[in-house]
Amino acid sequence: MMKALNYLRADTIDSALQYLDEFKQDIRILAGGTDLVVRLKQDMVEENNILDISRIKELNDIFRENGAIHLLPLTTHTDILESETISKYAFILREACATIGSPQIRNRGTLGGNIVNASPAGDSISALFVQAARLKLKSINGERVVSIEEFFTGPGKTVLEPNELLVDIFMPELEENETGFFKKLGQRDALAIAVLNVAVKMRIREAGTNAFDRAVVAFGAVAPTVVRGRRVEKAIISSSLDSPEQIHYIARLAFREVSPISDIRASLKYRQDMSINLLYEGLLELSANDWKRKV
Amino acid sequence: MEDFKYIGKSVPRIDAADKASGEIKYMSDLNFPGMLFGKILRAKYPHALIKKIDTSQAKALPGVIAVVTHEDVPGLNGFGIVTPDQPVLCKDKVRYVGDAVAAVAAETGELAEKALALIDVEYEPLPVVDDLIEATQSDSPKVHDGGNIHLHTKVVRGDVEKAFKEADLIVEHTYCTERQEHAFLEMETGVARIEEDNILTIYAGSQYPHRDQMQLSRCLALNPHKIRVVSYPVGGAFGGKDELTIQPVLGLLALRTKRPVKMVMTREESIISYWKRHPMIMKYKTGVKNDGTLIVNKVTIYADTGAYASLGGPVVNLAIEHACGPYKLSNVDIEGYCIYTNNGVSGAFRGFGVPQTAFAVETQMDIIAEKLGIAPIELRRKNALRKGDIAPVGNKLTTSVGTVAVLEGISKTKLWKEREKYLVKNTKKPWIKRGFGFALTYQGTGLGVGLPDYGGAILKFCENGGFEVGVGMVDYGQGIGTSYAQIAAEMMKCPIDKIRVLLGDTTLTADSGPTSASRGLYLGGKATIIAAENMMTILKEKAAEMLETSVKDLDAENGYICMKNRPEKRVSYEEIAAQFMKELHHLPETEGHFLMPLADMKVENAFGLPHHIFAFSVHLALVEVNTLTGQTKVLKGAEVIDAGDIVNRQGLEAQTEGGFVMGMGYGLFENTVIEKGVFKTTNFSTYIIPSVEDVPFEIETVTVVNPEETGPYRSKGVAETVMCATAPAITNAIYNAVGVRIFKLPATSELVYTLLQKNEEKCNENTN
Ligand SMILES: Cc1cc2nc3c(=O)[nH]c(=O)nc-3n(C[C@H](O)[C@H](O)[C@H](O)COP(=O)(O)OP(=O)(O)OC[C@H]3O[C@@H](n4cnc5c(N)ncnc54)[C@H](O)[C@@H]3O)c2cc1C
Repeated sequence: MMKALNYLRADTIDSALQYLDEFKQDIRILAGGTDLVVRLKQDMVEENNILDISRIKELNDIFRENGAIHLLPLTTHTDILESETISKYAFILREACATIGSPQIRNRGTLGGNIVNASPAGDSISALFVQAARLKLKSINGERVVSIEEFFTGPGKTVLEPNELLVDIFMPELEENETGFFKKLGQRDALAIAVLNVAVKMRIREAGTNAFDRAVVAFGAVAPTVVRGRRVEKAIISSSLDSPEQIHYIARLAFREVSPISDIRASLKYRQDMSINLLYEGLLELSANDWKRKV
Repeated sequence: MEDFKYIGKSVPRIDAADKASGEIKYMSDLNFPGMLFGKILRAKYPHALIKKIDTSQAKALPGVIAVVTHEDVPGLNGFGIVTPDQPVLCKDKVRYVGDAVAAVAAETGELAEKALALIDVEYEPLPVVDDLIEATQSDSPKVHDGGNIHLHTKVVRGDVEKAFKEADLIVEHTYCTERQEHAFLEMETGVARIEEDNILTIYAGSQYPHRDQMQLSRCLALNPHKIRVVSYPVGGAFGGKDELTIQPVLGLLALRTKRPVKMVMTREESIISYWKRHPMIMKYKTGVKNDGTLIVNKVTIYADTGAYASLGGPVVNLAIEHACGPYKLSNVDIEGYCIYTNNGVSGAFRGFGVPQTAFAVETQMDIIAEKLGIAPIELRRKNALRKGDIAPVGNKLTTSVGTVAVLEGISKTKLWKEREKYLVKNTKKPWIKRGFGFALTYQGTGLGVGLPDYGGAILKFCENGGFEVGVGMVDYGQGIGTSYAQIAAEMMKCPIDKIRVLLGDTTLTADSGPTSASRGLYLGGKATIIAAENMMTILKEKAAEMLETSVKDLDAENGYICMKNRPEKRVSYEEIAAQFMKELHHLPETEGHFLMPLADMKVENAFGLPHHIFAFSVHLALVEVNTLTGQTKVLKGAEVIDAGDIVNRQGLEAQTEGGFVMGMGYGLFENTVIEKGVFKTTNFSTYIIPSVEDVPFEIETVTVVNPEETGPYRSKGVAETVMCATAPAITNAIYNAVGVRIFKLPATSELVYTLLQKNEEKCNENTN
């Protein structure tokens, strides 16, 4: 049963921050509500005040500035899919958001909500990891910037203080010589929570070769938070991805990066194997495409 | 086929506009002044003794109007279509986590829920019976005092032992299937209230209002005439609303409070509390000659019926009847056990035991074909049952048999014709492999020998010259109402928009038996035809008077009765109606009643075996399997169907597509997981049904010409056969693609991947 709640609405960042400060621990932000309302219905929300930020215009935009691409937190997954800027400069994130839920969920669900919800299976998060996103958090006392990797402390847990609002998500624009992908394995082809997901970004050392001088790999749904695959990254940089065998050899290192659990969706063993195979498949597909990103 | 105006045409659904516009009022849309909200307290444990129930605190909560327990059930505290072993409200024992222990009616749903939390039930937990095979052992804890085997049926024909000795090849495997959820759009929902003349009216979607009325009258100790059940419209059923669900508690609360009471299940409560497809373990041992002739089959089926019987017995029996597939076999030893456990409750579900056995038989057939080096179609054709043959359980097939026709129809599908093209190797992604598979199945129409199987229809003449058809069946999405309208319009020779169809109402419609067993069109249709013939006689007699001629010189056409030789001499149906009103002040009403033709023998210790009329279908699937992840994608589907003549082409195509997708979910995704009696998949986040993205872009419907002379407009029932063999078609295709045999449904990505790994290990062992 859903309990009675006190509904508040802010139309500006300032008024939102005021409310957050006033109600301290007892207030919960509502953006698209696609995570929060489900939880409210399950009676899993402790707070008694709901602050609706969905109409704060200042929090809804996508723009480029000084080589960085900014997505304000109310950007919906659909906004992301429809943005040319994103498909050019943040295509890994775009691939991730395309796998979220269904059209209805993507129309309502926001990037900010996906991040702050802090599910290890949040699909945008692995993409944001490899795109080196940074988050601007603001409170009545000021603002701070944290990297996406520092943001999460556990499933559903972040460093966000109760009086803070996520106000900006920004990341360097992907460059011409950068490639990568996002891949997700679910129990069906839509409306599926990830059994596992993987995001990869690599910088081609020299056109026409299989060598890379930078690589970032992140896995979702295989640990309490999204995790980096540092051994894989190192191996990509220190070798050349010339053959399927070589790629498989590298992908197998993923096994040591993940610490999955067994649950109703998949067993630990399957998730372990899939962290290798999904990465392997993604790299094979990319190599078959001469490392050119999908558009 | 004769030239018909409506029969055989793609007539749009008569309820389509109302459904699309939202005009239609489902039970959850009903609201009445002073209405209360009801909630049910479910068991806390899957298996426990009830020591004490204290409702005093709940009763004291302001706004709570009634709290009821077993003590308040006025009549028989038990329901169940075959064996009334399920309590309306549990007295001394709970047997699954959906068992109803108490119920509340309050001014709001929130209050009712608060009251539930205040009911204090003291339990003594008992060991949980959750393993199907262990449950049959004599030392197992008992779900019911009589033991855990609810029903055991055995059919033996020929000399099984001798036949196995004569067999050139014996194929022996165990098959397992899981617990499928109906996943209808509308959960169990309803309103009960006392209406005019003190009639308790239950508005709750179900498949058989007249049986609901009978069961309710027993539980509520109320004259059946004092109960009216309205079970249409309903947002989906698929067998899951054949048995009672919320109705007895709903009725009890309305009687108690004398106010309207509404109950709406959440998805979670619906999944935990109500019916599922029986999980089965099926042991198959099949003996065959080198030339492919099947000579013997030994089959043992264990079915998990959960805590209560409901239709578990008949489900196991239908599984037995269809256990050998539509193949000639003169030596069989088929036995089935219907077993009680604390794993929820299983009951009726589209296919009724056949999807399970079809999976087993059709996998056996492909294995045999491969071992003997015979083409799978050829093997099936060689053994196919034909008209005049004796079916495996011993009845002679004297009605239309389409086994060979549907096998031959395979070559007419685009999927078959172009399969070579579809099966090209993926050179860019060699880890993705395609495969093609098919499976054959059949399904009895109707309830079978030994069960009352009849259809009834009421036809009323209306002042506008149209007709009202009242059949006690329910259109839960299959489109039966439209078919009745087609039949009535065709028979009465009037435009279809002059036909009004009434369904699922104990007062307004004739008892026509359950809307199940692929029987709706067959029995309701036949009854409508008879009612229409009677009506036509009456109209012609009146017209003969009016035209001053004799009945034999009259014909009916397009809303008129006219003279055969002088069509300009005619009276319209409106004029006839006006004449009746003038003379009698009311309009004629006719009825049609029809008894199902039956097979020539009966199987002992069984419910409804065997059947007499069967529909046949071949299911085909083209799949793509990702060997890195084990994921299977169904790219294309097709079905070749023998349903006799087709009454509504568009309706058949919708059935085929829906059936294929449901069968695909059964084959690849769906499983209600229960561990130690506790549900682990209580909504669609974890209970995975196919999404539109998973569904193949094209599902072909190909029909064969094979009229069933006994059927309405020579048709027979099709609603079940269209889903029964989709799963084995897909698993056979998976084998074709990647060489792993699936013996357990659903073939999830993880299962296929695990089997691929095992295959690889085996290969490595062999090469080392
Ligand atoms: C049917 C369904 C399918 C789904 N499928 C997927 C899927 O495939 N992949 C996936 O990753 N997710 C999925 N989700 C989850 C959800 O849709 C996404 O996480 C979505 O992005 C959440 O955004 P929202 O705006 O709806 O968040 P909300 O529910 O509004 O908020 C989520 C959390 O974030 C907090 N919050 C939101 N905005 C801010 C902010 N600016 N500052 C501080 N805190 C904030 C809220 O307080 C809340 O705790 C699905 C959900 C449903 C219901």
